[in-house]
Amino acid sequence: MLAQRFRSLALRLQRALGSIPACQGVPKLLPSCVALQLCTAKNLTSSEFKQSDANQRKTSKAQLETIHRADTGSSSSVFTAGAASKRAESAKSRMGVEMADASTVTKVTKTLVPLKPLNVDDWKKLKKESYNKTRFAVSMMEKLLSARADIDVAKSLLVFVTMESGTVEYELLLKYLALCVQQQHLTEVLDLYVMMKSRFKVLDIGAYSLFISGFCKTDRWREAVVFLESIKKLVTPSPRNYGDIIISALQHKEVETAWILLKEMESKNLKPTESTLQTFFDHGKSFYDDQYENKIMYILFYLRNNQIYPGEGLMHSIHSWFESIPGNQWKGHETTILQSGECPICNTLLESIQLSTEEYHMLRDCVMNDIIQGTDTFKKTTPQELQHFQTFVKNHLPFDVVIDGLNVANIAPKGNQSRILLDVVSFLANRNMRLLVLGRKHMLRGTRSWDKGHMAEIQKYADCFFTENISEDDPFLLYATIHSGNHCKFLSRDLMRDHKACLSDQNTRRLFFKWQRGHQLVLSRYNPRKRMKFEIISRYDTIVQTSHDTWHIPYDEEGVERCSYEVPRKWLCLRKHN
Amino acid sequence: MWLRVAHFFQTFAGLQLKTCVKNKVPLIKCQFMPPHRTLVLTSCIKNEEKKVSPDKLDLDIWKTVMKETALETPNLCPSEDPVDSFSAATRELVQMWRLAGKAVPENLTEEQLTIVQELPSKSAKKKYLKYLAIKEGKKKATKEKQKIKQEQAKYQKEKENEGGIELRNTFLLQFWQRSFDVMYNWRAAQSMMFGQPLIFDMSYESYMARREMENTISQLLECEGFNRRSLDPFHLYFCNMIPEGSYHKEFLKRYGDAWDRLLITVTEKSYVDVFPKDKLVYLTADSPSVLKSFQHDKIYIIGSVVDKSIQTGLSLANAKRLKLATARLPLDEYLKWDVGAKNLTLNQMISILLTVKDTGNWQEALKFVPKRKHEGFLPIPEQKYCNQSKSYQNKTRIDKGPIKKTRRQKSTLSQGVERSSDRKRWWLEED
Repeated sequence: MLAQRFRSLALRLQRALGSIPACQGVPKLLPSCVALQLCTAKNLTSSEFKQSDANQRKTSKAQLETIHRADTGSSSSVFTAGAASKRAESAKSRMGVEMADASTVTKVTKTLVPLKPLNVDDWKKLKKESYNKTRFAVSMMEKLLSARADIDVAKSLLVFVTMESGTVEYELLLKYLALCVQQQHLTEVLDLYVMMKSRFKVLDIGAYSLFISGFCKTDRWREAVVFLESIKKLVTPSPRNYGDIIISALQHKEVETAWILLKEMESKNLKPTESTLQTFFDHGKSFYDDQYENKIMYILFYLRNNQIYPGEGLMHSIHSWFESIPGNQWKGHETTILQSGECPICNTLLESIQLSTEEYHMLRDCVMNDIIQGTDTFKKTTPQELQHFQTFVKNHLPFDVVIDGLNVANIAPKGNQSRILLDVVSFLANRNMRLLVLGRKHMLRGTRSWDKGHMAEIQKYADCFFTENISEDDPFLLYATIHSGNHCKFLSRDLMRDHKACLSDQNTRRLFFKWQRGHQLVLSRYNPRKRMKFEIISRYDTIVQTSHDTWHIPYDEEGVERCSYEVPRKWLCLRKHN
Repeated sequence: MWLRVAHFFQTFAGLQLKTCVKNKVPLIKCQFMPPHRTLVLTSCIKNEEKKVSPDKLDLDIWKTVMKETALETPNLCPSEDPVDSFSAATRELVQMWRLAGKAVPENLTEEQLTIVQELPSKSAKKKYLKYLAIKEGKKKATKEKQKIKQEQAKYQKEKENEGGIELRNTFLLQFWQRSFDVMYNWRAAQSMMFGQPLIFDMSYESYMARREMENTISQLLECEGFNRRSLDPFHLYFCNMIPEGSYHKEFLKRYGDAWDRLLITVTEKSYVDVFPKDKLVYLTADSPSVLKSFQHDKIYIIGSVVDKSIQTGLSLANAKRLKLATARLPLDEYLKWDVGAKNLTLNQMISILLTVKDTGNWQEALKFVPKRKHEGFLPIPEQKYCNQSKSYQNKTRIDKGPIKKTRRQKSTLSQGVERSSDRKRWWLEED
């Protein structure tokens, strides 16, 4: 008990200390003016920022660009790919060695698999020694499957089973089929199909899927469509099933069949696999016509509309497809976009992160209906409180920054909470920002961590609204920010994922995420009374996009783990030379 | 003689040589093999080389055997009716899944089949079928156990009969279950007149899926049973009960005729219409205030809902709407919480309330909290309310902070944890 308490104390200490180097992950190379520019408001300039700004002017423009280029790669915000895994890693390292040990121990598996086909007697001997005698054949076949053993071994096992029981069970046949598909023994797959068709009236979905992927590699790929139909009768087929057929249709130059299937997938809300899309680009090189180009464009817009980011393999395929177009000279480069939103290769300005007016109105309504009211207004607040808040906001609009008081106050593990909040508020207020601080009523009660004097001072600097102690403050934060207009930002470290989940459909969720990336300020560094630094808000939207002679496609790097609330950093820039 | 010995030595040396060669062969082989562990069957390979070379081993013989047997099975002609064929196809699919070694039940009733068909996705179907398979397995196991028991009882009876019936002199006739039931019903009837009311709020029909509703009813059944058996039962109220609603239907299915003879009050009315508002206390795990002691003049409300999808603040919203007092059990104050949600099942709730009502002792009452959820009782919980010392606050912070951090998956950065614990702690600073 005592030891545990001590350990948890140590952990806390570590966490407190650990947060400092984590914050310094933002490279020192980065001139503060860059950070400032991207903080969107020029009012944020602190004295030291100004100083470095003056220095900056002396440097030539070319130099500036090189600095930019160096920086864009490493400057990261909460939303860039890999940020979450980095955070998790540092947390893990702080947790100590125990975790690492657990992961190394796991993979010790015994695979006692014969390497050569055995005869019946040897199998008998093996079975006698085996642990599970009733399911010996099936479990052995599973082992063969996972060890990618030679097919002859599996065949000899089947011979043994038939000799012993006179027949082969469905489960064993299925496993054998999986083995054949895995190792591309296509004649065997066809044989098995004849056998299973005669023996069983219907097959299960797993068998159909295996036959689809087996048949698709042979000349009889058209029959796979029949299997797909029989799956459709029972359940929705998986994207893999569709993908297998589409790929083989494209390989046999039947673009229309592939296209119809892709459209069908879209109508069923299935997301095509990466390799499916990749084949469209890979096979487009051999036969180029306008119709096909239209299809490719459709796919690219599909990626855009569904906010799908291609992986590195697909990116290369897209790249080479564009470069293979006869006549037009498309040139592609892999790059990172400057913080100003400009592509360093072709100097095009990327799409802004700001929402259009209709989108903005739609999001505003959705936030009100889905996040704040939801099915029951009483869940997050009360109607009276909501009414009160709405009139309050109406009378005080517009704000420049809306601050999540409780989130900001807890930014540093040590220190007085009201003190931290006061620091942040006064920092922002000194830059002539209209502020709104959201909090809960218990903050006003005057306790050890919430000093009454501090709170009074905060109220001098900013408008404050205190919700009931059992109400949620995040919905109010979103409401106030959205109603203040497009220029208004909010300050919180919360990623708002639970609120995003309240939204009804995928499209509004995407809108919300885009708005969040453009409007969320995150304190990246805070030392009491020393420095305060905000994470960079990107000016451009990370999405597949085109202008009349360029395409910009963000893609996922290999080896970088990207969370759902992060966006890739790397881009493919495609430009047409005339 | 000498010759013989020499001969013996010769053969011995020859044997040794042979074994040497034998031992060496696998060693050499190992060098060329992949690094993972494999079963080396040298003797088998040797046999094969002698008897049949791998080419001679007929690997496709099983196919011919299979084809021969395949002819025997007759092909059923598919039915014509499209609706019928759909359900037949589903049935066949389930059967094939069973053959493929998936966890599906052997027999499906028509009702279950329609449920399977209505489920939207493949995974939902698989999950439901797995649930049915487990249920079926359990049923079979109990049946088997019963059979064994019956046989044993029969055997025992025969044995006793052999000995002859022995007459005994007793003060009482055998005390049958019937007599117990009469006694329990007396108590329940008494509580309906003079007992303290306990309300189950049945207004959550629309929030629950089918399985959750079934679970809720099972828990309510257990609640009623436990209450009836207690020394001083509550007067149970089922409020907001819609006639012919899904609660009602499920109750009728489970209780049968006994539903009309139950000694509880079932009403369509809301609890605020039946009782004065200031007496009502809504018990919910989301409540900010703690139930410090059980009060005998209050009327407690329990929301009869099982939410597997974790809909936070569901019952708190109801209480807020009607402006009722709320309370949660003092779990954090008495127990060192480990895992699991703080919302307890309905039968655990009623057991806790009955015990605390009878004894007033939280330690005793909270023994009904599942053991897996906590690590044990905290040493002297009463002190916490007496002195709101700083040391206590610090201690809880240190104790709970890191543990929570590993378990919680909130959308905030690491600081979010601090905040949420702050959310939990503010009531301590209240008074």
